[in-house]
Amino acid sequence: MYLPNRKRILFVPFAKLTFIYLIFLTPLLGQFPSKPITVIVPFAAGGGSDVFVRIFQNAIRQNNLCPQPIVIKNIAGAGGTIGSRTARNADPDGHTILCLHDGIYTAEHYGNADWGPADFEPIAATGRSGVVIAVGENSPYTSLDELMQDARDRPYQLVFGTNLGAPNHYSALFLQAGKPNSKFRFTQTGGGAKRLAQLKGGHIDLTGFSVAEYQQFKDTGIEALASLGEERESSFPNLLTAREQDIHATHDLMQFWWAPLNTPHEQISYLQNLLTRAMATQEIQEKFKTLHMDPVIQVGQDLLKTIEDRSKRLQGIVVEKPTTLPPLEWIILGITAICFIFVLKETKSA
Amino acid sequence: MIDLFSTTSILGLVLLGTTLGITVGAIPGLTGTMLIALSLPLTFSMEPVSGLVLLVAMYVGAVSGGLISATLLRMPGTPAAIMTTLDGFPMATSGQPGRALGLGVGASLVGGLVSWFALWQLAEPMAELSTKLGPFELFSMVILALAMLAGIGDSTRARGLLAGSLGVLVAMPGMHPASGELRWTFGLTFMNEGFRLIPVLIGMFAIGKILQDVTSKDGKIEEVSGNDSAWVALPVWLSNLFNLVRSSLIGTFIGILPGIGANIGSLAAYMAAKRGSKQPEKFGKGSEEGIIASEAANNATVGGALIPLISLGIPGSVIGAVLLGALIVHGLQPGPLLFRQNPEAVHAIIGTVLVANVMMFIIMVGCAKWIAKLSSIPKKILFPLVTGCCIWGAYALNGMWFDVLVMLLFGIIGWQMEKARLPLAAFVIGFVLAPIAEENLCAGLMASGGSYLPLLSRPISLCLIISAVMLIIWKRKQKESSTDPPQS
Repeated sequence: MYLPNRKRILFVPFAKLTFIYLIFLTPLLGQFPSKPITVIVPFAAGGGSDVFVRIFQNAIRQNNLCPQPIVIKNIAGAGGTIGSRTARNADPDGHTILCLHDGIYTAEHYGNADWGPADFEPIAATGRSGVVIAVGENSPYTSLDELMQDARDRPYQLVFGTNLGAPNHYSALFLQAGKPNSKFRFTQTGGGAKRLAQLKGGHIDLTGFSVAEYQQFKDTGIEALASLGEERESSFPNLLTAREQDIHATHDLMQFWWAPLNTPHEQISYLQNLLTRAMATQEIQEKFKTLHMDPVIQVGQDLLKTIEDRSKRLQGIVVEKPTTLPPLEWIILGITAICFIFVLKETKSA
Repeated sequence: MIDLFSTTSILGLVLLGTTLGITVGAIPGLTGTMLIALSLPLTFSMEPVSGLVLLVAMYVGAVSGGLISATLLRMPGTPAAIMTTLDGFPMATSGQPGRALGLGVGASLVGGLVSWFALWQLAEPMAELSTKLGPFELFSMVILALAMLAGIGDSTRARGLLAGSLGVLVAMPGMHPASGELRWTFGLTFMNEGFRLIPVLIGMFAIGKILQDVTSKDGKIEEVSGNDSAWVALPVWLSNLFNLVRSSLIGTFIGILPGIGANIGSLAAYMAAKRGSKQPEKFGKGSEEGIIASEAANNATVGGALIPLISLGIPGSVIGAVLLGALIVHGLQPGPLLFRQNPEAVHAIIGTVLVANVMMFIIMVGCAKWIAKLSSIPKKILFPLVTGCCIWGAYALNGMWFDVLVMLLFGIIGWQMEKARLPLAAFVIGFVLAPIAEENLCAGLMASGGSYLPLLSRPISLCLIISAVMLIIWKRKQKESSTDPPQS
C-alpha cells in the first residue's frame, strides 16, 4: 500500500498495535464474527431478493472473505414486513442482519409497518436497479409526456397495475407528483410476471418494471415509455428519462443492508468491509451484469445521504385509497353463521 | 434433446431428482417447494443444464410422491394430493392398497405425458391465450370451483357449505390480498401474513388424523391391509380413457394460470369426473375414477406451469418462480427469446418433464410392494415420526414457531371437524380459493372503478358465471329427483 511518508510514520505503529491486539486480546474479548452471520431475507426463497443475497453468500464463500459462513433465512410474507420486524427485534450483536430494498420506506409510508429505516443501523447500499414505465404495444401513447397529459385531462381513467404499498406503487405516485393534477386509477396486480400478463392481455393500461424485468419481457409485446433514473439506463441508452420528457419524477431501487438498532460500531464496520470486498469480486461484478444492476456500493456519509433523500422524496406523497371494496370478511362471517344455524338444526332433528 | 438424455450423468440427475422429490412429496409436512428452494444454491456450481434437469425432476417427483401418504395414511404429502385422500384411502382400507397406488401412479404418468406434449408443441399459443384472462375471468373461474364444492365428500350440503365457509373465514386474517392493508391481525406482526397454507394443511390432515386415531376409545382405527398388486390392467385404463384425457387437459390448463396451483387443478378435474361419472355415488368411497382424475390432473399441472415460464418468462406456480430464479442465476434470460438464445436449456426442461415422469412411474410401480408396507409400520413408531416431520416442516418454512403453533391448532380443529362430520377437503379448498377470489374480484373492481358489470359483460366471465349457476340448479334438481332423500 502506498502511503505518504508522514502518514506512514503514524500508520505503521498503529498497524502493529492493531496486530498485537488482534493476536492477543481478541480471543479474550470474543472476536466478531464468533458464529454464522444470518441474513434475513424477508421474501420467499427463489425470488429476486433471495437470489440477490445468495449471490453475495456465494461470492463470500468462494473467496474466503469471512471466517464464518453466511446463512440465509427467508422470512417471507406481508410485503417484507414480517421479516423486517424479526430483524428489528434480533440481538444487536451483528450476527443477524437484514437485506431489504426500498420496500422498507414504502411499507412505513403506506402504513403497513410502524417501523422504518430509522429503526435500524444502516450498513450499506449495494446494487441499483433502474425502473421503467411500460405500456402494451397497442397502446395509443408513444411518449410518457403524452400519457401524463392524458392522465391530467382525464383523471382516474388510466389503469396502473401495481403491488399496492410496494416500491412499484410509489413509482406511479412519484409520476403523479411530477405532473400536477394527473391521476391514475390503481389496481392490484402483484409481482412483475403478473403485471406483464395483465399488460399483454389489455387488462391494465400501464405499469412499472425494473430494468431487469423489462429486459426479460420486452419482446413479448410491451414497450417502455421512460426510465425513472436521474440519467438514462446504460442497458437502454435510447430510452428517454421522465425528466427529459418534462415529468419531474425520479425513482430507482437499491438493496439496503440493515442491522438492528444499537449494533456496535465495530460490527457494522466489519460488515461494511465484508460487503465492500464482496462487491469487488469478479463473481459479483459478473452476476450484477446479468441482473442489469449497477454495481454501486455506498457506506458512511454517502449512504446516510441516500437514505435521507429517499425519506425526503416520500414527504408530501399522498396515498389515495382505491375504490371502496366490498367488506367480504363480514359477508363471509354472516354466511358462516347462517350455515352454522342450518347444521345445528340438522343435528338436532337427526 | 435425445442426445442430452443419452448421457448417464444427466439420467443420474433425473433419477436423483425424481427419487428425492417422491420421498419429500410422500412425507407429510415436507413439500417440493422446500426441497427445490434448498437445492437451488447447490445448483449454482453446476452446469446450467444439469441444474435445471435436477430441479425439474424434483418438481415432477414431489407432485407425484404426495399420493403415497394420501392413499396409505389419508395424509396428503403435498397440497396437490388432497383430492386423492378422498378415494385413495377408502380403497386402500378396503383391502386394495396396491390397486389404489397403481391407479394413482398410472394416472400421474398419463397426466405428466399429456402436459409434456402440450409443453412441447403448444407452449406459445396456450401462453398467449392465458393472458386473455383478466381478474374478472379468474374470479368467475373460482366461483365455478366453489359451486362445485357443495357436493364434496359424503356429507350433507349444509355441512359442506359450513366447512367451506369456515375455510374462507380462516383465510381472512392478514394482509388484504388486493388493497395490501392489514385485517384482523389484532396488532400482531406474525399475523400479518395470516395463516399459511402448509401449516394449516398438514395440521388439518396429518395432526388431525393422528389425534383422531390416538383418541379413538373403541380402538376402531381404519387399517390399511392387503397385499394386492399395483399393476392395473389395460382394460381399466381404456374404460377410463376419457376421464384421463379430460383430467390431464384440465390440469395442464390450470397449471398455466399464475397463482393457481396443482391443488386446484386436481379439485377441478375431480369435480368434473364426478359430474361426468355414471357412478357419482361412489366418489368419496374409493372410486377409481376419483383417484385417476385427481392424480392425472396434479401431474399435468407441472407441464402446464412450465408453459408460460419458457414461452413468456412468467412462472405458473411457486416452484416455477424458483426455477425462474435458477435461470437468472445461471445467466440465462427467461422470456420469449430463451428458445432462440438458449435452446439447450429449453430442451432440457421439456425433456426432463418426459423422462422424469417415466422414471417416476418405473420407480413407484417397482417399489409399490415396499411402499405399501409403510402402512404396516406400527402406529407407535409412525405417528411420532410423522409428527416430528410436520413440526420440522412447519418451522423450516419460515423459521417461525408461530407456524408450528398454527399447525397444532389446526390439528385440533381438523380432529373436531371430523368428529362433527364436517368435510376437511371443503374447508381446505375454501381456504385456498378465498384469497384468489378476493384478490381478483377486488383487482377487477379497482380497475373498473367499482363496477361489477364486467363480470357479465365480458364473454368468458359470463360463460363461467352461467356454468356456475347452472351447476347449482342442476345439483338441486338432481337432489330432488333422487330417490335417496337428503339426510336431514
